[in-house]
Amino acid sequence: MNSEKIVQYIQKHCIADDWTLNITKDDSHETRFAQNVITQHIAGAMKEISLSVSFGSKAGSCTVNQDDEESLAYLVKTAEEIAKLAPEDPEFVPSAGKMDIPEIVNCDPQTKALEPKQLVDIVQNSINRAKTYGATVSGLTEKHIETNGLFTKNGFSGEYEKSDFGHSMTLKKDEVETKVAYEAKNFAAFNLETLLEKLFNQASTLAVKQTFEPQKIAVLLRPLALQELFWFMGWMMDRRYADEGITPFTDQLGKLFLGEKFSWFSTYKQPTLLAPPFTSDGIIAEEIPWVEKGVLKNLSTSRYWAKKIGSKPCNNYNMFIPGEGYTEEEMLQMVPRGLIVNSFWYIRSVDVKAGEFTGTTRDGVWYFENGKIQYAVNNLRFNEIPHTATKRIIATGISELANPSSLLPAMLIDNFNFVDKTSF
Amino acid sequence: MKYLDLAMNAAEKLGVEYADIRIQKTTEQVIFLQNLSLKHTSNNVLQGFGIRVFKDGAWGFAHSNVFSDEAVLATVKKAVETATLSAEVNKTKKLRLAPERSYISTYKTPVKIDPFSVPVSEKIDLMMEVSRTMLAYEGIKKTLLIMIMHKDEKLFASTLGTRLDLTTQFINPMITAVAVTESDSQSRTFDEGGRAVGWEWILELDLIDKAKQIAEEALIKVKADTLGAEERRSLVLDPNHLGLTMHESVGHATELDRVLGWEADYAGVSFATPEKLNNYHYGSELINFVGDNTLEGGLATLGFDDDGVPGQKWYIIKDGILKEYGSTRDTALEIGLIASRGCNRATYYFNQPINRIPNLYLLPGTKPLTPGELIADTEDGIYIQGRGSYSIDHHRINFQFGGDFFWEIKNGKLIRPLKKVIYKSCNPEFWNSCDAICDERFWRPFGVVNCGKGQPPQTGRMTHGSSTARFRNIRVGGSQ
Repeated sequence: MNSEKIVQYIQKHCIADDWTLNITKDDSHETRFAQNVITQHIAGAMKEISLSVSFGSKAGSCTVNQDDEESLAYLVKTAEEIAKLAPEDPEFVPSAGKMDIPEIVNCDPQTKALEPKQLVDIVQNSINRAKTYGATVSGLTEKHIETNGLFTKNGFSGEYEKSDFGHSMTLKKDEVETKVAYEAKNFAAFNLETLLEKLFNQASTLAVKQTFEPQKIAVLLRPLALQELFWFMGWMMDRRYADEGITPFTDQLGKLFLGEKFSWFSTYKQPTLLAPPFTSDGIIAEEIPWVEKGVLKNLSTSRYWAKKIGSKPCNNYNMFIPGEGYTEEEMLQMVPRGLIVNSFWYIRSVDVKAGEFTGTTRDGVWYFENGKIQYAVNNLRFNEIPHTATKRIIATGISELANPSSLLPAMLIDNFNFVDKTSF
Repeated sequence: MKYLDLAMNAAEKLGVEYADIRIQKTTEQVIFLQNLSLKHTSNNVLQGFGIRVFKDGAWGFAHSNVFSDEAVLATVKKAVETATLSAEVNKTKKLRLAPERSYISTYKTPVKIDPFSVPVSEKIDLMMEVSRTMLAYEGIKKTLLIMIMHKDEKLFASTLGTRLDLTTQFINPMITAVAVTESDSQSRTFDEGGRAVGWEWILELDLIDKAKQIAEEALIKVKADTLGAEERRSLVLDPNHLGLTMHESVGHATELDRVLGWEADYAGVSFATPEKLNNYHYGSELINFVGDNTLEGGLATLGFDDDGVPGQKWYIIKDGILKEYGSTRDTALEIGLIASRGCNRATYYFNQPINRIPNLYLLPGTKPLTPGELIADTEDGIYIQGRGSYSIDHHRINFQFGGDFFWEIKNGKLIRPLKKVIYKSCNPEFWNSCDAICDERFWRPFGVVNCGKGQPPQTGRMTHGSSTARFRNIRVGGSQ
């Protein structure tokens, strides 16, 4: 049954005062390889149909993954029964009404047309090149075509398709481990040779490592590392949690709370960035400055909280951080010494109110001095507060795609707080 | 069900070495309450089947949610095509499957009261009362309550002749109180991580009493002192806290797929490599870790894993020495094991199973010792309860953990509550620093229902357990 028919079924059979219907479909192919062997290989399509209904302010939901009439009857009956049993919800908001949905191209025909054999050929070529290099390679090659639909009793009706292609490679040779990855909605910009060259270059500079003690030191965070760090900060940038005094962003809206060299936008005008046109509850994608030259401009606001405080709901749907355009070489000249970090791993909150996080480096750390990389070093653990770290930004690079939803530059940040080291 | 035979016959005709089909229906009820607002109450049913074939040393896996003869046959064909593509790449190094016999068996999680038979209104009423109890405390500004009831019904068949009918389930209540002052916010959570039992567990728990306790402790915590600079101190860790510590630093480190480098691109590898088996001092001689997928109430007690291998019990670390791993049919032979330990599990029908941590627990001390006696025997230390911040490197060596509630110990007494405490340690330092474990009277299980692993990511579940234990000379301090 297609989405139109499912909507018609709900319109005909759901007797609730209000309803919201989400239909998600995903057709995917995933090839997982490790140590030069394919270890998993998955193909299939999925569908999920979720219905939330309400009687007055009493609400209930149900999800099924079958679209026959019997399953849809269960979906409606179950959601309605739960809603009837639920208490009145003091924070209830009606479903989203009819809205103008921005037209955003999130699905690339070339990605959609990729065949399993093409994906496996990419894996085969990667393994062959790794073997020639005397190494093993592990990674994931994947393609997803996902459709998201949102339909409500109050008139919201929208469906969009998005594509995703990814190829990651972790190389292992003796004690060297390092990773590169490409993931984007567009397959066209993927170049295996370029990615392999980057991988082998990284690996060659990691062959000899020196022990480096944890300390506060200038650090050049490459885009992937920065994305991982700021994604966690973004998770805390919620208006309600700020207003309730739980996060560091309490009473900071409109103030110069972050560094003046730091801005963060959600945008659908950058063609390479994935930008879902609406959320699962009908918040429309808009051009949103979250931080502009250090001033906290907006915080993610749910539809309920927006109604309560007389604001507009907004959702942090992607990360565009503009850069100043410095090259990595130029930034290395700006401080006497420091570290380059490729990526981070296992970042977790340490103190919610302070906005402090911990995590470790991964896939390459290099010590530089007098503008030049001197040698690779062991991995390190950091305890750092990202929003205060933005006040220590010395310079930023050229924005590049770190993943489908993040376009951001490398950043040179002073006095980054490394607190422990690993033995590798 | 006819689809089992249809799929296995079709796979055999297509010349596979091995195939299995897992028809799985997952039913989940989730109730999420924030303060007195019921944010989400849902029943979710996901059903379909996954067909896995092994051909020329390679896997192919395909899934579908359409139940018809045509869909089953098409899915078998897709799985075989996928395996054929994999096999081209694996020509020079083929995967191998450890031998296994066939089984015809059933398993059902023993429950006295099926949580799905309890009216939703009764669950909501209980949660509202729990939330009201916490909000009645001045200073508690936010409460979060989540109740998850989960059931998996699986029919499994393989070309070995195995036919399994498995119904497993768990229930997981979690309640959090958040205390807010002018300068700080601190939360305290009751979360035992879920258990493979029925609603009778919820009735035994007395959640109202738990709510009072965590609300009071959140208010103590938000006004508590911080610890200051890092020093080497003793740590006394309660079983709930140790559950996550062992999960991260022992459980993941002893998954054989990580050891082999199969997770190198994402979840990471392991320092606990095969040459360390039978000689590596992972911990002090008090440290005995058992993998046990037969544990009563254990979240990984499923009868059989998704390779069709029965649940087992074995030593992973004995008297401090690394003895074995959690393994699967496709990893076991790589290090010369003769059979799998039955740790291959998938989350939903559309997931290919991956090597998972079994139920893994620390055996209690053999000498009589209570937590009170252990604290009384500690001159300078920190007592940590519950789970907090946790982060470990991708080799599973260096880690930093927090907790949920902290007391400073001086001269055998709990002298003041603390907040924002973190400790840093590494393998094998941490487990070798253990010098006391309370006895079996104080052994308690704690579950993990959200263990993220794999590409595409899957959420696994397993149970850990221990008695309260002491660790000497660990770096402990306050956060920034």
